[in-house]
Amino acid sequence: MGPIAAPFPSDRWFAELVVRAEADTAAMERLGIADLRIGFEVVADDGSGSWLFGLVFDGYDVDAVGEPERSGFVPEVVVSGPRSAWEEMVRSIEANGGADAGHTLNTLTITGVPFTVRSTDAMGQDKLYRYMGTVQAVLDAAGVEPALAAGR
Amino acid sequence: MTLGLDLDYLDRSSRGEFDLRWLRNGSSEWGVRAKPGKTGLTLRDIAIGTYGEVPDHAPLRTMAPRGSDIDPEVPDLGYTINDKAEVWSDNVLDLYEEAVSRQWSATRDIPWRDLPDLDPDLEHAMCQLATVLSEVEMVAADFPAKWLWRINHDFVEAKMFLCTQVMDEARHTEVFRKRALANGGGLGRASAVVERFLQLILDAESYDEGSALMHLLGEGIVLSLFRAGEFLAPSPVETQIFRLCMQDEARHVAYGTMHLRYRLERDPSMAEDFHAYLDKGEEIIAMIFSTPEIVEPTAILAAGGVAQAAELGTAAGEVMRHQIIGDYLKRCRHAGLDRRGRLHLPDVLIEGVAGAMPEAVA
Repeated sequence: MGPIAAPFPSDRWFAELVVRAEADTAAMERLGIADLRIGFEVVADDGSGSWLFGLVFDGYDVDAVGEPERSGFVPEVVVSGPRSAWEEMVRSIEANGGADAGHTLNTLTITGVPFTVRSTDAMGQDKLYRYMGTVQAVLDAAGVEPALAAGR
Repeated sequence: MTLGLDLDYLDRSSRGEFDLRWLRNGSSEWGVRAKPGKTGLTLRDIAIGTYGEVPDHAPLRTMAPRGSDIDPEVPDLGYTINDKAEVWSDNVLDLYEEAVSRQWSATRDIPWRDLPDLDPDLEHAMCQLATVLSEVEMVAADFPAKWLWRINHDFVEAKMFLCTQVMDEARHTEVFRKRALANGGGLGRASAVVERFLQLILDAESYDEGSALMHLLGEGIVLSLFRAGEFLAPSPVETQIFRLCMQDEARHVAYGTMHLRYRLERDPSMAEDFHAYLDKGEEIIAMIFSTPEIVEPTAILAAGGVAQAAELGTAAGEVMRHQIIGDYLKRCRHAGLDRRGRLHLPDVLIEGVAGAMPEAVA
């Protein structure tokens, strides 16, 4: 399985990501149920603009909802960072079949650099921690090799 | 009533003369048919009709299933927690399902054979941290277990969730004990300060007090530590351990936060009681932030070695401390208990944490 053909970031890229992740039903079920509305905000490196993409985790299912202003999606938690850092993360996933230690979502958010986590309340932020393995497994599905089995 | 063998009934039933009292005059909702959702038949799916009505105060103190027809001669089992608000949280049904669904095995799901040989300083540090975590995690099993049998059976969903927590914490104790023993280092040193905090939780005079100390304060801190695990982990094996434990711990914290919120929404006058519980807990937590058995292995692991620890490890420790305190303040606030400006932590520990200093709130 090669890299996702659609450009990053785009609705099509996240839609294809979800298709890949959901293809391994057994792995999704092994990860367990999740209940999360998460936004990924990609900020232009020069600060001139940003794009927000949403994923909805519901039970064993994941849906890509595209850019929220078009879908009415309200995320519980948003992970935000510069485009170059997102692209570096995607390249790491593609190169290694899953994020290496320096490019997991948890690592990239823990100090607030390069990614920040924002939520309207503590529960939204804590939900990211509750489902981190599932979110990471879905992101890792952008990798060359199916990564869900190792991403629990 | 005298319990005993009803020989007359045995004789009649042997002749096919059934009593059938259990079938007559029942109040059960015959015809109630819970429908499974897309993940299966969940607790929320069966919370229907009167079966889904959880009383604010349990009318009886029995193990009779809520909604069943109850023999008027059932004994009093002496439950002491008979008010829903003492244990309930609005997310407890979902958290139970999540806990059951997201179980994992410390034997099977950790790639133990991939543990690399580590620099002895890193191995010592990892083993010391594993020792502390193996020690503290079990209190989060002991505490619910201590109170479970006192909680009225009408609140069975909350009891079931606490049972999952007991299992989670057993697994955490297991996985860190296994890590200490799996790579040549062995167990390190248990400190008195840590034990004093655990004692505070176990000796809590009420479930309210213990839950605030454990679910909100103690587990909140450990959650932040697990989250930092990907920084601390010397290999992908520990990364996997920390990630799996983090998910469980966040579930427990979610219960504790929402339980406190449920409690305070129904009785805001209890806020000062909870402040007092947390005052005591934070005083010991302040000592933990200066306990070498915790601070030093964390610094060494964060920096990648002893030589780098003084500079890099101290900086990483400060980031972690800020995150721990910041997240704790947010959870308290979400629960309806604003601890901003009244933390019982010395200024040196909270400087730079948004909203932590008294003047920031004034």
